[in-house]
Amino acid sequence: MNWIVLLPPLIAAALITLFLRPLKKLSVLVSIGACAISLGGALAIFFADGEAKLSTLSWASLPGLEITIGAMGDPLASMMLLVVTGVGLLIHIFAYGYMKEDPGLSRFFAKLSLFMFSMLGIVLADNLVMMFIFWELVGLSSYLLIGFWFERPSAAEAAKKAFIVNRIGDFGFLLGILGTWAIFGSIHFEELKNSVAATGLPAGVSVGVITLVTFGLFMGCMGKSAQLPLHVWLPDAMEGPTPVSALIHAATMVAAGVYMLCRVFFILDLSAYTMEIIMWIGAATSLFAALIALQQNDIKRILAYSTLSQLGYMVMAVGCSATTEAMFHLTTHAFFKALLFLAAGSVIHGLHHEQDIWKMGNLKKYMPITFVTFLIGTLALTGFPGLSGFFSKESILFAAYHHNKVVFALGLFTALLTAFYMTRLFVVAFLGKERTEDVHHAHESPKVMTIPLILLAILAVIGGFIGIDRYIGPHAISHDSGGYGLVMGLSIASFLIGTGLAWRLYGNVTKEPYSFAILKNKFYSDEVYEAFLVKPQQALARFLAWFDYWVVGGLFVRLSCLSAAGAGEVLRLMQGGSLQAYVVVFILGVALLCYWILVKVAL
Amino acid sequence: MTFLTYLPLLIVFLPVLACLAIASGSPARQTALATVLINLAAVVGLGFFLPQESGYHFVSSFPCIALPDFFTINLTLGVDGLSMAMVLLTAVVSVAAVAVSPIRVRREKEFYICVLLISCGALGAFLSIDLFFLYIFHEVALIPTFLLIGIWGGQDRKFAATQMTIYLAAGSLVLLAGVLAFYFALPEYGRSMDLREIQQVLSTTPFSLASQKFIYPLLLGGFGILISLFPFHHWAPAGYAASPAAAAMLHAGVLKKFGFYGLLRLAVPYLPEGAETYSTLLLVLLLANVLYIGLVTVAQKELNMMLGFSSVMHMGYIFLGLASGTPIGLTGAVVLMVSHGLSAALLFGLASVIREKTGTTLLKEMGGLASKAPLLAFLFILGALASMGTPGLGNFAGELLIFFGAWKVHSWATFFAVWGIVISAVYYLRAVRSIFFGENGKFAAEISDLQGLKEAWPYVLLALFLLAIGLYPAWLIKMIEPSIQVIVNL
Amino acid sequence: MNVFTEITLNHYLALSGLLFMIGLAGVMIRRSILVIYMCLELMLNAANLALVAFNRFHVKPGGIHDYDGQIMVFMIITVAAAEVAVGLALIVSLYRLRQTTNVNDLNALKF
Repeated sequence: MNWIVLLPPLIAAALITLFLRPLKKLSVLVSIGACAISLGGALAIFFADGEAKLSTLSWASLPGLEITIGAMGDPLASMMLLVVTGVGLLIHIFAYGYMKEDPGLSRFFAKLSLFMFSMLGIVLADNLVMMFIFWELVGLSSYLLIGFWFERPSAAEAAKKAFIVNRIGDFGFLLGILGTWAIFGSIHFEELKNSVAATGLPAGVSVGVITLVTFGLFMGCMGKSAQLPLHVWLPDAMEGPTPVSALIHAATMVAAGVYMLCRVFFILDLSAYTMEIIMWIGAATSLFAALIALQQNDIKRILAYSTLSQLGYMVMAVGCSATTEAMFHLTTHAFFKALLFLAAGSVIHGLHHEQDIWKMGNLKKYMPITFVTFLIGTLALTGFPGLSGFFSKESILFAAYHHNKVVFALGLFTALLTAFYMTRLFVVAFLGKERTEDVHHAHESPKVMTIPLILLAILAVIGGFIGIDRYIGPHAISHDSGGYGLVMGLSIASFLIGTGLAWRLYGNVTKEPYSFAILKNKFYSDEVYEAFLVKPQQALARFLAWFDYWVVGGLFVRLSCLSAAGAGEVLRLMQGGSLQAYVVVFILGVALLCYWILVKVAL
Repeated sequence: MTFLTYLPLLIVFLPVLACLAIASGSPARQTALATVLINLAAVVGLGFFLPQESGYHFVSSFPCIALPDFFTINLTLGVDGLSMAMVLLTAVVSVAAVAVSPIRVRREKEFYICVLLISCGALGAFLSIDLFFLYIFHEVALIPTFLLIGIWGGQDRKFAATQMTIYLAAGSLVLLAGVLAFYFALPEYGRSMDLREIQQVLSTTPFSLASQKFIYPLLLGGFGILISLFPFHHWAPAGYAASPAAAAMLHAGVLKKFGFYGLLRLAVPYLPEGAETYSTLLLVLLLANVLYIGLVTVAQKELNMMLGFSSVMHMGYIFLGLASGTPIGLTGAVVLMVSHGLSAALLFGLASVIREKTGTTLLKEMGGLASKAPLLAFLFILGALASMGTPGLGNFAGELLIFFGAWKVHSWATFFAVWGIVISAVYYLRAVRSIFFGENGKFAAEISDLQGLKEAWPYVLLALFLLAIGLYPAWLIKMIEPSIQVIVNL
Repeated sequence: MNVFTEITLNHYLALSGLLFMIGLAGVMIRRSILVIYMCLELMLNAANLALVAFNRFHVKPGGIHDYDGQIMVFMIITVAAAEVAVGLALIVSLYRLRQTTNVNDLNALKF
């Protein structure tokens, strides 16, 4: 059953790359068809409710290490599969409309299918190594898709940056996997779970060791889900086409980190220190990103930082041992963030690739469907009561409230900021008066683009009511614990304050009234990295190259060469050409020989 | 079945026959191509019929020197799982090397004779069960390399060729000392050049600690110089930068791995205590290979130097696998040996294509090739991804197994070695970015792409093997497993 | 017995050694090729003298005299003669080429 989900996108990607390049429409059909088949498979697994027939392929089998390509059929996996394939299918359809005129259309869909294959592999993974394999493949797909318009230097640089930062996360992840294998002797989730349930932390493994190992695992999440300090690639990843941003950098790939944390949660739980670190990093990322988003002017950047912020929420939830809440928010976030990105794509498409919100305005008039869906998305994100985002965010805040009040306060403040910047975005882009001439030429997007928007909007609305969280598992903190009303009230209050404030401040302005340089320049993260990491590394590399050329090369190669040549020069002087000198040397040799034989040997 | 017994002999000496044919007038390139293709078919056939049991199969033995009291040297050829993997690598890379060589090259006959001799030497070395011929066949491959680089190479070729050959000859000298020490340390009654007899003798009476401590550094040093272990790596980048595509592909892809093969046959099974004594030194050196050379690679501004240093860097990983001594680590080392050979051949071949098309090898002068030459870009990016360890291609499988194998035994070394995946990503992606993406660099003429399968088939062949190993490594692992078991149990 | 009254083997050997040294010194020091050649002959004849002396004073057990040493001397004289022939031919052609017999001028045998 799992192969029906996993293989069609791979086959699609291979077919398109090898044969179908010139046939654009067919390529698109193949890719979308493959995604649909995967969705069918995911539905089958979902309805089989744990009884699905899943087969395993032995990838490498060695004494002590069994690496298989298999599948997990538990609620966590089947939920995630539905999200990935469902949202993925809608984005595929939207992407056709968005990228229709692009000459590289087939190439785009081939890469999209490759991504789907990799992402589904992560979700289905039944062991850490399989997950790592597909983890890296997802990073590769992201590299290819971010750098899709590769003639643009900025896109090429962004793709490279994304891959390398992800690789740093993978470095930690791999070490975590190695550590887990060394401690527990297995890489399969089922076996690990049983082992931990039975004996907990094996004897002889100190807290320090397990903290390091679990932190390694978390590093993978930091890279993939762009947590502090490995967050720098996500904003730049907006260089890719908007459907890519929607699929990869909002709904699925970045969520893979959170999914992985939930998968290995029982291992992370063994170290209280790591859980604390996860919680704090999540909260910090969330706040950090929200602050930066307040001052961004590119519609995609705002949404990117918003994604960062929401991912921070999810990670924070995991840190508070609330994995169900985290997955719930992941699902609803997939709905409304994909919706927001696609709607933004619709706007960009309609305005002929204008992305600055200060050059938009009154889009309500020109793009009504996009306007409504974007509104729904915004309300869902900011936590309008009743929409899906409200339930999921509030459940996370509730879990945080019971875990650590400071983190709860941070989360609440971030919710306020979220409401603020999203309302700012909405008001500036969709309401008010047109800010430039070009807005008058805007038009609504074709149906192939608006229908996915509508479908996602419906999901964003009903997402809180269809029992996603109950399906995944019990809440960490049940609603009967105290303070539920307080938390609910505070979160609604933060929504109202944030929205209201932004409405007042940005209601009728024509250009940005406030300017906080530090926020606008994203706390100078890129500059800091450039100065403290990139430049020193380049300098070290240059030094080592010089060292290698002169010292190692000089010492071993040139020195031996020079000494051989030098010795030759010295010895050459002995061959003066004078025959009588030769005779003298000859005689001396004979004398030495005679001495040797007569005196030394004879005695 | 007797035909199969003589197949190794055919495989080794067919290139020699082809050389004679070329020397007496047959069309050089076609003969060479036919030879290596027949060899590849023969090797694949050999692989199909290779039984799963451990030990050598299809052994044929021809006495050469028989002085019963001094030494007996027989030309004994045969395969086991490990040799099969290496021979497969050699055959594939030989095909690619001959195929990518330019169609019009001056002194065509000598050129292809040299290439065929290198192939013959490598095949003979891997198929030899006799210690003497193991060494000699490798030497056979050394001189043609010198000629190829010195005569048909690029800039700076004379210096690079001379440096490389003298360096490698010095390494061979140390190796000879090690082999002789090994031979003379064997007990008198069991003194034989035949690896099978050595195995029997040493399984009952292993070497003493003192002799191990003496032999191991000689073997490690000798093979290490051949593999470009730090600090004996200086010959590799300059040598590969100056060499024609075929020489670089064959040397970096195949001949370097001979060193590892020798260590796997001689040092790992029979000198475990010696290895333990020197393990810290080896770990330091291999980490220098990975990290130090990795950073040096980052600083390279020229494509061929970068690829040369990169190949030196990846030897560090294979050394880690060897140093682990565990079945997982050793298997990973062999998988990486094969995969790296394929990916290095792919990259060096394509680098020479890029040099031809753009007229430059400086990274900053290139750019924007992807839009003009998409097939070239696709293949090169595939090779770069392979070399930096992306899953789906063989190198990842090898590196993963090496890390798993070495983690329990040498945790700290593995910790630092894993960082190498980040470093290799940095320089490969930077190279890809500089060459293929972004704006156009300054080219003399319009760049044309590889003309479809007709021109690109050798690279596609290499890529297919990389994918075959990467997507499903079980077949390769199963092939080498019996030999690894034997090695570990000794 | 006095050294000066009876002639023993040692006297002959001393003479032979002295002749050899004089010849050697000549080869090492003299500048003219012909003189060097003559000194070479001197060295050869010194060896001859030593051989004859040994032969003369050597009696095999059983009272038999053998003449091995003197036979060797014949050999050496023959070889010396042949060598002189060849050597003088070489010197003559060398003189014709270089117009000099000064050994210091013949220094091309070098790197």
